[in-house]
Amino acid sequence: MKKLLVYLFPLILFTNISFAIIEIDITEGNREPLPLAISEFFHDNNQEIIDKKITENIRTVISDDLERSGLFSSIDDKAFIQNNRAMHLKPRFADWRLIKAQGLLTGELTIEDDRLRVEFRLWDTFAEKEIEGLVLITTIDNWRRISHMIADKIYERLTGEEGYFDTRIVYVAEEGPKNKRIKKLAIMDQDGANHKFLTSGKELVLTPRFNPVRQEITYLSYFKNLPRVYLLNIQTGIQEVVGDFPGMTFAPRFSPDGGKIIMSLAREGNSDLYVMDLTNRVVERLTDSPAIDTSPSYSPDGKKITFNSDRGGSQQIYVMDSNGRNQKRISKQGGNYATPVWSPRGDLIAFTKFYQGQYFIGVMRTDGSGERLLTENWYQEAPSWSSNGRVLIFYRETKANDAGDGHSSSIWSIDLTGFNERKLITPVDASDPSWSKLIQ
Amino acid sequence: MRISVVGSVSLHLFILFFTIVSLPLFNNDELEMPPVIQVELIEIAEKTNVPQISKKKEDKKPEKENKKEEQKLNQPIQKPKEEKSNEKVKDPSTEEKIENKKIEEKMIQNMPVRKPEIKKKDKFDPLKLAELIDKQKDTKQTNPEDIVEKDYEALDSTPSLDKRLTLSEEDAIRAQFMQCWSIPLGIPYDETMIVKIKIFLNTDGSLLKPPEVVQHERMNKPGEKYFRTLAESALRAVRRCDPIKAPEAERYDNWKNLQLNFDPREILRG
Repeated sequence: MKKLLVYLFPLILFTNISFAIIEIDITEGNREPLPLAISEFFHDNNQEIIDKKITENIRTVISDDLERSGLFSSIDDKAFIQNNRAMHLKPRFADWRLIKAQGLLTGELTIEDDRLRVEFRLWDTFAEKEIEGLVLITTIDNWRRISHMIADKIYERLTGEEGYFDTRIVYVAEEGPKNKRIKKLAIMDQDGANHKFLTSGKELVLTPRFNPVRQEITYLSYFKNLPRVYLLNIQTGIQEVVGDFPGMTFAPRFSPDGGKIIMSLAREGNSDLYVMDLTNRVVERLTDSPAIDTSPSYSPDGKKITFNSDRGGSQQIYVMDSNGRNQKRISKQGGNYATPVWSPRGDLIAFTKFYQGQYFIGVMRTDGSGERLLTENWYQEAPSWSSNGRVLIFYRETKANDAGDGHSSSIWSIDLTGFNERKLITPVDASDPSWSKLIQ
Repeated sequence: MRISVVGSVSLHLFILFFTIVSLPLFNNDELEMPPVIQVELIEIAEKTNVPQISKKKEDKKPEKENKKEEQKLNQPIQKPKEEKSNEKVKDPSTEEKIENKKIEEKMIQNMPVRKPEIKKKDKFDPLKLAELIDKQKDTKQTNPEDIVEKDYEALDSTPSLDKRLTLSEEDAIRAQFMQCWSIPLGIPYDETMIVKIKIFLNTDGSLLKPPEVVQHERMNKPGEKYFRTLAESALRAVRRCDPIKAPEAERYDNWKNLQLNFDPREILRG
């Protein structure tokens, strides 16, 4: 026993030294977008039913989606060394690494019973293995949605969060001179394709908002010079007025389960927040202050509501429980705040801020801390979140010159890092966008 | 009973005594500091090799001393060194590489030692003295074998030194992985978002076997998509950097196994 102790003693003394492995902390890296090789999907030339353009278009849509996210770059296909069916079965990884591709997308198109069968695989060129693969079957005309869905899968596999490409944007399309503006409701895919006008423009429309669970929109339209809240089912085209209130209603927005609409209702010059249950049309009052309370937005769990109020003398952001209790101001920095919108992730609230003559789009934590301003401009407002809570769209106006020309309004997107600001192309001027959840 | 009590007490006292006496030897920060400072001053390989050289010196030294004594008059340049070693004055050349300021102080201390020798040959000439000092510096740099071992013996006996990489070696490795790592910017900030990867290298810097994710269990948990993304990006970086430009092969044992901590938290915090 004593001997054992004698032998063990030096060991104890040296343990802390002898087993140390050298650790190197890597806290910086390459912030460039991840280079991906997106190949054209293979298809048998004998199946002439497949238009050659479809394979090209699928590649382009996937590639554009991923590049627009700012997180990926698509390697020019002229650099591709391998391009055949064998690659879809087992790519020569060394060749793809040579052109610096960290990921490779391959696929194959076939026609089965007049339906398009798209099979794709995503390969990690360094680990030399397939990391994602799926088969999607649809009608041939539906190739564009298939492409967005594939882009979503790639995005999800490589970033760890849900994609947002198979989504739509509804917005207010504007035409005509500023004092006689025609405002129509319009809808398009998030990349600007499949654009459609939903209303004729006879009545002014404002603040369209997507239902988070159904293909349905709520918006504000004027009827006999009074603003009313409407519901529109975009699959059936059926439109209805939500309740018939004695005053004016504003800023409608759905609850996270899509079963309620929360809005602002003005009576005798005082505006407060109300919620209406869409199944039984029962209306409940949530705030009762002499100030203007407006722009309500639910938290994703439905337990909290953020809204905008000037009860403290200037427009600020407040948070309360969904039953109207525990109202608390959260915006603390200087300036006026408007249009708060709760992130689908639940961690942030996006807002418009007016400060020292400039408009900002920013985000803050739900307790008001950590305010970050993402973009600054002469005039911009109304942020709307992507379904994964990583990107915001908003609209921005350009200033008219002295002659009154040059005014325009367009939709822009920016991601949470404050980088990757992009303009969305619309056929006419655009304002007040709302981004849908992933199409089910 | 008494024997066991006495035995126990004496053993405890021995452990206590040995701990007090021995621990500072192994964990003394001052002893570990010199190599770190050295790296900042001079190139990687030369510095960290120094402790190994000292062992060879022990055998050669007596011979050199004799030779030097014979050549005293002909080679006045070597004299100061000899005297220093005889007088057991610390050789400033070791400190020289450690801290520039200390060099100056030590040089001043050594000057009186040299003066009598010079007087033997010539009358005092300040210009020659300056010349002598300059030459002394040169000879010390050109003859690394003359370095007094005392300090290095202490360094040799510091086990942690063998396990360390110099700062510039670490930086060189870090810089390579930084280049290779595409940070997954899409993942949200989380305090636990750090992935630790062990790599095993050949002498040429290539991967000996596949890298290992230390927290591999977490990587495969269903709710940990973001962590998996981060871990995969780090694994890609390791493979993309394969082979790394490795430090000296002579000290392969120091860097053959490394743990890389890929930590994007500061970047994700925004």
